[in-house]
Amino acid sequence: MKKVVDVSLPIGPVHPCFKEPARIKCETAGERVIATEVELGYVKKGIEKIMVGRPWQETIFLAERVCGICSVVHNTAIVGALEKISGIAVSPRAMHLRIILNELDRMQSHLLANYSYCYTIEHETLAMYLLNLRETVMDAIEIMTGTRIMAAYVVPGGVREDISAETAGKILDAIGHIEAELPRFVQMFATGPLIALRSKGIGVLSVADAKESGVVGPTARASGIARDAREQEPLYAGLGWHMITRSEGDNFARIMLRFDELFQSAAIIKNALAQLPDGPVRLGGRVTAGRTTHTIEAPRGDLTYDIELDENGQVISVAIQTPSIMNVEVGSHAMMKNLASAADVTSTFISTDPCIACAER
Amino acid sequence: MTLLQTLKNAVRKRSIHVCYVNTGSCNGCDIEILACLSPRYDIEQYGIYVHNNPREADVILITGAMSAQWIDKLPDLWDKVPEPKAVVTIGNCPISGCAFNRPGALIDPPVSKYIPVTAAVPGCPPRPTEIISAILGVADILFENYETKTEEKP
Repeated sequence: MKKVVDVSLPIGPVHPCFKEPARIKCETAGERVIATEVELGYVKKGIEKIMVGRPWQETIFLAERVCGICSVVHNTAIVGALEKISGIAVSPRAMHLRIILNELDRMQSHLLANYSYCYTIEHETLAMYLLNLRETVMDAIEIMTGTRIMAAYVVPGGVREDISAETAGKILDAIGHIEAELPRFVQMFATGPLIALRSKGIGVLSVADAKESGVVGPTARASGIARDAREQEPLYAGLGWHMITRSEGDNFARIMLRFDELFQSAAIIKNALAQLPDGPVRLGGRVTAGRTTHTIEAPRGDLTYDIELDENGQVISVAIQTPSIMNVEVGSHAMMKNLASAADVTSTFISTDPCIACAER
Repeated sequence: MTLLQTLKNAVRKRSIHVCYVNTGSCNGCDIEILACLSPRYDIEQYGIYVHNNPREADVILITGAMSAQWIDKLPDLWDKVPEPKAVVTIGNCPISGCAFNRPGALIDPPVSKYIPVTAAVPGCPPRPTEIISAILGVADILFENYETKTEEKP
C-alpha cells in the first residue's frame, strides 16, 4: 500500500518538553501521525569503553555517571556484580540501608517522570506540586548520604556510612509528608477530565506488542506484564513488596502505575526502617577475577551489568543493558503510531519515562 | 542615561529567558536545573523563565561534555539565539569533561572551544541555588546598558 505523507515533522533535539536531546521524526497526514522514528546519539560518551582497563574502584564512579536521575541504582548494580564475582558478603543492616536508598531514588525518579508528563500535557500546576514533593525526597537522600545526586553510597561489602536514629527519624518524617500530600495529587490526576482527554486511550501498548518487544519496567507493568527484577531479591518480599500491574497500557495507566509504586516504595522504606537490624554496615572482602551478569530493578526497568575482571581487579570487559533503550524503541514502533494529534507524540514519548543518557551512555 | 535606557535595564533584569542544552551530560545537572523550577527555589520570582527555546533565549545553559554529535550543531544553535545573549555552563563536564575525559571517550571538552562562555558553575552536579545565583550574576553585568556598551561583545 502506498503511504501518503503530508509533512515530515521533526521534534527536537532541543525541545521544551524534553529533558534530554532526542529527535523524533514524525510522518504526518494532516494532524494524524502515521509513524515515528526516534533518532538517538546526541549524548553518546562511550562510558563502557573508558571503563575497560580501569581498576574497579574507578568504575563505580563512572557507573554512577551513566545516569544522573537513577545514579543510586547504577551504583548498586555494579557493586552487586562485583560482590557476585568475588563472593563478598553484605551485612543485613547494609542490605536494608541499600533498599531504603534505592526506594528513595525510585520515588524521586517516578515523581520526576510524572512531573515531566504533567508538564508535557500542559498541566503545570500539578507538575509543580509533584516537583516540589520531589524536593522532599531529595532532602531525605541528602540527609542519608550527604549529597543530592552521585552519592557513591553503596560500596562492596556494604554501604559507605551508617545512619543514626535521628537521620532515620528525618527520613520517616519526609515519607510521612509525602504520604500525606500525594493522595491529593493522585486524586487530581485520576479525576481530572482534561487530563483524561489527553491521557486515556492514547499511546496504547497492547499486551501482544509488549511481549514481542521485550519492554521492561513500569511501561511493561502498565500493559499487564508481571516483570520486576525485585522479585529475585528475597528481602523485598519481606518488606511488603508485591507486583503492581495494570491492564490498559495507555499513557494514563503508565502514570497511575508510577503513583501506585510511589506509595509502595514509601511503605517499603517505612518497613525497612522499622526492621533495621543492628550490626556493622561494612564487611571486608577482596575483589577477585571472574565474570558475571547481575540484574536489578531500576526505576525504569531491568538494569543488567555484564562485567569481567582480571586478578588485579581491572575491568577486562563491561556491558551495560539499560531499560530505556527498549522502552524508547517500543515507543516509536508501537505506541506512537496512528496518534490523533501531533501533540500526543511528545506526551506519549515522555510517558515511558525515557532516559536518553542511560540509553546511550 | 536616557529614560528609555533605564526602562530597558529594569525590564531586562526581570525577564531572563533561559534555554538549557544537554551536550552529552549524564542528566544530573539537567535535573538540578529542573529542580530550580520547583516552588521551593522558584526561579520565576527572579524573572528567570525556562522556555527551552533557543530562538527566544537570553541565557543558554550548557550541560555535558560536548559529545561528537553536538560539535557542528552547537555553533548553529548559538547563531540562532538573538542578542543580547550569554552562555553559562553548568557542572564540571563543560569545563574539563569531568570523569569522562579519558582516552577513547567520544567527547571533546571544553565547550569554550566552540562557543564563547561567559560563566561556569563547577560541581558534579552544582546545587540549584548555585545555578540561580550564577544566572542572576551574569544577567546583571551583561544586560545592563547593553546598547551603549563600547567594548567587544562577548
